[in-house]
Amino acid sequence: MATKPTFTSVDQADLDFLGREPIPAKYYHDADWYERERQAIFLRSWIEIGHVCELPQPGSFIRRELEFAGVSLLIVRGRDGEIRAFHNVCTHRGTQLTDQAEGRTSTFSCPYHRWTFGLDGALLSAPDFERFFTTKADCALPRVALDTCAGLIFVNLGADPVPLRDWLGELADELETLPVARATRFSEYVYDIAANWKLTYDNFQENYHLRFIHPRTGEATFSSENPFGYPVRYQFFGPHRTQTIWTNPEPRIAPLQRVAMGKAMIAAARRGLAGGPNGREYFALFPNFFILGTVAPHFSHVVYPLGPQRSRGVIRIYWEGDDADASERFAREYVMAMARDVHAEDRAVIEAGQRGLASGALKHIHFQTQEALCRHLIGAVRDAVAAHEAAAGTAG
Amino acid sequence: MTMILPEDFADLEPFVADWTPATSAERAARRSAASATALAAFHDAMAPRLDAALVWLDARPLADLDPAGRNLLGLCLMLAHVALAVETQGQDEPRHALQREVMRITRTPADP
Repeated sequence: MATKPTFTSVDQADLDFLGREPIPAKYYHDADWYERERQAIFLRSWIEIGHVCELPQPGSFIRRELEFAGVSLLIVRGRDGEIRAFHNVCTHRGTQLTDQAEGRTSTFSCPYHRWTFGLDGALLSAPDFERFFTTKADCALPRVALDTCAGLIFVNLGADPVPLRDWLGELADELETLPVARATRFSEYVYDIAANWKLTYDNFQENYHLRFIHPRTGEATFSSENPFGYPVRYQFFGPHRTQTIWTNPEPRIAPLQRVAMGKAMIAAARRGLAGGPNGREYFALFPNFFILGTVAPHFSHVVYPLGPQRSRGVIRIYWEGDDADASERFAREYVMAMARDVHAEDRAVIEAGQRGLASGALKHIHFQTQEALCRHLIGAVRDAVAAHEAAAGTAG
Repeated sequence: MTMILPEDFADLEPFVADWTPATSAERAARRSAASATALAAFHDAMAPRLDAALVWLDARPLADLDPAGRNLLGLCLMLAHVALAVETQGQDEPRHALQREVMRITRTPADP
């Protein structure tokens, strides 16, 4: 059989604008640098925290803890259908209104003195309110900027942020083509990791490690032609970036994997989800969000910082519609379990990297051509910190 | 008499007690707790029956399955996890189980 090459490596010349120099190691463990990132990036960037399918009807709400900010948010669908974000904090004396993770309600009532707020955040009633020295209008729940793209919910803790779609630029329209824009259900798994958010995130934007860390679960990716399973293209959009994943013409696939993937593809085709324009694109939105355009698994992965050397990863596999039949349920269960098997393999080696960096033994680390997305991330982080500190006059 | 499994699948009845946890997280935990011998025995019995089981189940609305049908579906969903242990991880499965433990499954469409 004729063997036609299907893989052409990305050329370093196309990536030289990112530089070739080693990267200071302190960015991945230093507590002072982490605080500067927190101020410059996480407290004023659009951060993905959920999906509109979690708020199916007026009164639906979810609570989200943003540990990097020490903030608890209520994300609420109002009577008018609009989704809003509020601080989960009573304006009387600060009591958190609810510890429920999600639910449906018509009001939020503080357990302390029964101040009661509407779905739009307005203070509706407060016992013996005449004795206070303020107005109800001044006691609405503090609001946080929220917007959606492709069904994904983003919040921004900054004052007066740029609109989400401006921030996403031309990627906004691309994201809208993904199945996630039509998702109604998801599978989710969560992990905590003793590692910096960038060190964690970087693991998932380079394929150099695949053959060493995923020798079994990554088999479908490997071939003699492209032994590392490198992508065929990288693109850069301001602080965001994408890669186009390679399609292995002769993947090695386990017997029941073939059955499950076959059923997943049949279901996707039946739902009109297969063959989208971004079905081989892997989107990395600054600072900490990924989504893979494939239909099975169609997963998002967010790495939330918990501290300079601690993070939490949330992985969701999005689906459109309820399980139509047992075959679709089986396929979704297999696809979730398979993706989890792969993700489980990365954590230990990332933590080993963190311990090495935290020892202070290294002044610098190194990125090769095919780790260009990692190099781009630290560049975007440094740019964001510099811009914020210049604007605030606090450059340090 | 209440059937444990649909008649055509009665030979799988010995597996029902141990291999039909209620949730995806419990199925993942069941896989991790099983010995290599137990995983192989379940896989060898169930994998050749998966196609027939799904044909039988697909002919019925998921929401209206009787207890025997629900047991059969449970065996199919359990096989999704066990197949990864037997067909993909192989000898790495015990070590891999330790790595998976911290990946907490919080919800799936299959969960009640």
